[in-house]
Amino acid sequence: MLHLRRSRHVAATIGVGLSIALAMTACSGGGSDSEGSQDGSIEVWAHTGQSAESEALQALVKKFNSSQEDVTANLTLIPEADYTSTIQATSADELPDVMEMDAPTMASFAYDRKLVPLDDVLSADTLDNRIEGVSESGTYNDQTYAVGMFDVGLGLWGNKALLEKAGIKDIPTTAEEAWTVDEFEENLAKLAKTSASGKAIDLGEANGFAAEWGTFTTTPDVWSAGGTLIKDGKAEGVINSQENVDALKQWASWKEYADPNTSGTAFPEGQTALTWTGNWMYPTFSEALGEDLVLMPLPDFGNGTKAGHGSWQWGVTPAAEGNTEAAGSFLDFLMTDESIAAMVEANAAVPGSTTALEQSELYGPDKPLEMFANNLASACSSEDVTEECIAVARPVTPGYPTVTSSFGSALLAIWGGADVKEELDAAARAIDSDFSDNNGYEDE
Amino acid sequence: MATPAVLLLILFVAVPFVAAIGFSLYNVRLGDPRSPNFMGLEQYARILTDPDISAQFLSALLHNLIFAAVVVPVQTALALGLALLVKKSIPGVGIFRSLYFLPVVFPIALVAIIWRLILARGDQGLLNSALAFFSGGAFGAQDWLGSETTALASVIVLSIWQGCGFQMVILLAALQQVPGELYEAAELDRAGPWQRFLHVTLPGIKTTLVFVALYTMILSLRVFDQIYVLAKSGGGLNEGATRTVMYEAVTAAFDQNNIGRASAISVVFFVIVVILSLIQRRATRTQEG
Repeated sequence: MLHLRRSRHVAATIGVGLSIALAMTACSGGGSDSEGSQDGSIEVWAHTGQSAESEALQALVKKFNSSQEDVTANLTLIPEADYTSTIQATSADELPDVMEMDAPTMASFAYDRKLVPLDDVLSADTLDNRIEGVSESGTYNDQTYAVGMFDVGLGLWGNKALLEKAGIKDIPTTAEEAWTVDEFEENLAKLAKTSASGKAIDLGEANGFAAEWGTFTTTPDVWSAGGTLIKDGKAEGVINSQENVDALKQWASWKEYADPNTSGTAFPEGQTALTWTGNWMYPTFSEALGEDLVLMPLPDFGNGTKAGHGSWQWGVTPAAEGNTEAAGSFLDFLMTDESIAAMVEANAAVPGSTTALEQSELYGPDKPLEMFANNLASACSSEDVTEECIAVARPVTPGYPTVTSSFGSALLAIWGGADVKEELDAAARAIDSDFSDNNGYEDE
Repeated sequence: MATPAVLLLILFVAVPFVAAIGFSLYNVRLGDPRSPNFMGLEQYARILTDPDISAQFLSALLHNLIFAAVVVPVQTALALGLALLVKKSIPGVGIFRSLYFLPVVFPIALVAIIWRLILARGDQGLLNSALAFFSGGAFGAQDWLGSETTALASVIVLSIWQGCGFQMVILLAALQQVPGELYEAAELDRAGPWQRFLHVTLPGIKTTLVFVALYTMILSLRVFDQIYVLAKSGGGLNEGATRTVMYEAVTAAFDQNNIGRASAISVVFFVIVVILSLIQRRATRTQEG
């Protein structure tokens, strides 16, 4: 009896061990099975975005599958918080054929040989039709590695009624009219006085300055002040430049006017008159504020107003080898005007192709979000920020994870009152040491 | 009989640990197909001597020790107090037991978000508005999580709040094991409540108390989730004042993609934890003996 019980126990333990092992292989093997690739089916990974966005994508995949008989796309959605680390931790041959990725992570995946160049995979029409922002954030080492259905813009949203109540009549709508930093700060003080909450603006603190949001939301300040994060793979003297120190000192001084927005509804409920965020909030804001919603450029620190860009985009992995035609046809389908229109209806993003942008209800001339489209029409790289360009992409380098995590930690500390120069010096040392450990991420 | 356990231990503990020692000698990036370059003991040298990295590591270690030094006695004492309270067989005591135990079943990430609302800076924060209300507005709004002086204390408070219920249940079980005759005998000897507690209750649950303290110590050393959630997703937690060794290891590995350094941190931490457990074992053994 004892023996029987013992062997049962052993069997149960082995069973548990086996199922763990099976579960693990099932997880890691979720990518491409080469058998599937032969019959024209492709595996697709995407992040779980806002529910409207994910639903739109699922509908598009369904539509693609029923539109033709040669290729079947199987979509797997992965939660956004784990998305990038999942791809990072998956070896290239276990990846799906087609995957989505956040724009600034593209260079690191291309460097890790997890993406193949798309110039021969996509149709020439698709490639030529991209708006400048999309083609720029998809290019690494002079080759296209990713295409985006849309791009994003960052702006200053205002509540017209509250602005007028504070006596602010000069509401900028184009880049040229952007408030200078001094005007912006004066207005913050005025708004804080008249606001019910005593606060003037939501700067997105609740999204976490130490996370990717911090880099995305504060780099426009730095660029507008004439600084940038890295140049030629060097951070020393660049990320801790005097321009950056001054700009971030100013940014941190806005804390007394900033609502921590723990409820998540400070701006739409009229607790603050201003909010500093992206186009994806437009559906919520316009529903709450209607005619009172105004979109303004971010303040000008001296080098012209700037705005971040670069959003989710699609690439093809080495797992699709021998099947790139199917992967290409899927991406070509996603980049058609109809697909893009369906997607941007869900997330109010800037359409990623020229023709879709022309038909857009939101971004055309005199349309509510025209400014974002205009910003993207003059895009430049963060290595080479001019006074004229407005939309600037975050640094396209395989070392980006270290750049953003060091900068984010510095931002969080600066927001908490730490010395700006010291924090940026430490970030510069951390980034340069990482680049030198990795031979400057030379991609030979 | 022990074979499966040993196999699993080897598979999930020994193999990763040996791998970590190997990784710590190289510059390993997660997902990079290139063969990693050998760095020798460079990662260790940095952890121990590089002004930036070692300062961070040492402050992380210090935060771990402060955390453990406060949490172990306070949480154990609080759990014992709660267990004594809910031991009484009055009607409805089950509800109290469940209430105190409830936070334990919350994931710590959720706990962090609840406390993020309580401790939010500005007048909107629950704690700030309560303090302002009770002090008649004399007490100004504090940035509990962002300020260097209160950040670690805030994390300690929310961790105790979350963990206390679990220790309470273990101690409650131990309390119920103490034979009732001993109390009756003590009462006949005219021992007061405090004397009964000192001479009957405490000796009766001593082994459990030691276990609870050890267990809390282990949990304190690997504190990570609440700090990561509060610092990275908008809690505005002062990272410099609260980073722990686990936080250093996880951010090195997954935010900075530096597996080599993360492994070196883990190995150094392992050595430190082994030393601490040896000291603790010796201390409890002499006590028992």
